[in-house]
Amino acid sequence: MFDAIPISRRGPQPFSLEVAERQTIAVLGDEESGVGLLGGYALGLERPASGRALLFGTVVGGLPEPARLAYRRRVGYLPAGDGLLQNLSLRDNVALPLRFGSDANPHDIEGRVNVMLTALRISGAATLRPAQANDEERRRAALARAIAFDPALLILEQPFDRLTARVASELLEIARGGESAEGARRTIFMTGQEIPPVVLRRVDQVYRLTRAGVLELEPA
Amino acid sequence: MALTQVRFTALNAVGLITLLSGILSFLVISQATRELGRFGATDYIGTLIVIAIVRELGPLLTALVVVGRSGTAIAAELATNQVMGEVRALESMGIDPKQYLVLPRFLGSLVSVFALLVVFDLVAIMAGFAAARFNGLPGPRYFQIVLESLTNRDVWLTVFKALAYGAIVGIVPTYFGLSVRRASTDIPIAASRAVVAALVGIFLCSALFVAIG
Repeated sequence: MFDAIPISRRGPQPFSLEVAERQTIAVLGDEESGVGLLGGYALGLERPASGRALLFGTVVGGLPEPARLAYRRRVGYLPAGDGLLQNLSLRDNVALPLRFGSDANPHDIEGRVNVMLTALRISGAATLRPAQANDEERRRAALARAIAFDPALLILEQPFDRLTARVASELLEIARGGESAEGARRTIFMTGQEIPPVVLRRVDQVYRLTRAGVLELEPA
Repeated sequence: MALTQVRFTALNAVGLITLLSGILSFLVISQATRELGRFGATDYIGTLIVIAIVRELGPLLTALVVVGRSGTAIAAELATNQVMGEVRALESMGIDPKQYLVLPRFLGSLVSVFALLVVFDLVAIMAGFAAARFNGLPGPRYFQIVLESLTNRDVWLTVFKALAYGAIVGIVPTYFGLSVRRASTDIPIAASRAVVAALVGIFLCSALFVAIG
C-alpha cells in the first residue's frame, strides 16, 4: 500500500506498509508523527515527496486527474472531522457521491440512500444539516457516504473520536461489511491517535508510529 | 446548483437593481430634459440614455451590485468549504470540485449579470419615460428619440459587457475563495481580496471596452 513514503521530518526512515485484502489495519500515532498524511497519500489527494502509494496495483500519484477521480470512487473515505457538506442535509450528503459519481437513476439512488440511512440508523436525522446533528449522527452519515459505492477498500481517519466504545464498535462492524470465511468483506485501513480497546480487538494488525519515526508492531 | 446561484444572485437582487436604475435614470433624464430643453436640444436625451445609462452605467452598476452582494458571498462560502475540509471531501469522493462548486457559480453569475442588466436597462428606459413626461416631453416623442439613438452595436456591446462582467464575478471570487488554506481567519481576507480584485477587473474591462468600442 505504501512504499518508502516519508511522513515525518523527525522519522529517520521512510514508511512502508503492505495491507492484505479483507484485513483491518490500524496505524496510530500522535499529530507530529505524520499519521494524518497517510489517507491523503492513499487517495492521491497529496503526493509524497518520494516513494509511492500503490493500491489495486496502481501507483496512485501517477494517475492523470480523470483517472484519479475514477479511482477514488473505488475507495471509501471517512475523513477526520467528517467532511460533510454543511449546506446539505445528512441524506443529501449520503446521496452526493451517487448523484455525481454514478449513472444510477434518481429512483435507484433514493433507494440506495434509504438502505444506507437505515443501516447506519440515522433515518430519523436524515433531514438535519450537519450543524444540527450530533457527533454520532454526523459520523454515521459520513460512514454511510463512504460506503455508498460498496467499496472494497475503506480508509478511515480518526473514525472513533468523541464516540462511545459501543458506537465505535458498531460502526467498525458496519464498515467491515460483514464476515465471510476469508475475513471481512472489506479491507479497512484506519489512522488516528487512539482507538478504543474494544475496537482494537477487531483489528487484525495495529502499527504505532513513535516520535522517533520507528514503526512498532503491536499485537491486536 | 446553478439555479440556486441564479436565484440568489439575480432574483434576490431585482429590487435593488430596480431601485438603483429607476432613481438614476429619473434624475438624469429629469435634469437633461430641463437643461437640454432650454436650448431646444431634447433629441440628445436619446443619446444620453442609450450611451450613458444603457451602454455604460447599466453594465457597470449592475456588475458592482452583483460583486458587492454575490462576489463576497461566493468567496466566503468557498473559503468556508475549503476550511471545513469539504473541498477535500469532494475530491476524495471522485467529485471534481471545479464541476461541483465552480461551474454552477460561474454559469449562475453569467446568467444573473445578463438578466439583471436587462432589468436595469428596461427600468432605466421606463423611468426615463416617466421623467420625460414629468418634464413636459410627450411619451411617443421620448420613445422615438430613444429608439433612433439605439443601434445594433449598442445592443451587442451591452451583451458582451454583461457576459464579460458576469465571467469576472464568477471567476475572481471563486479563485480567491478556493485559495485559502485551513485557517478560518483567512475567510474574511479572501472575501475582501475577492471583491477588490473583481472591482479592479470590472473597471479595467470597462476601460478596455471603451478603448475598443
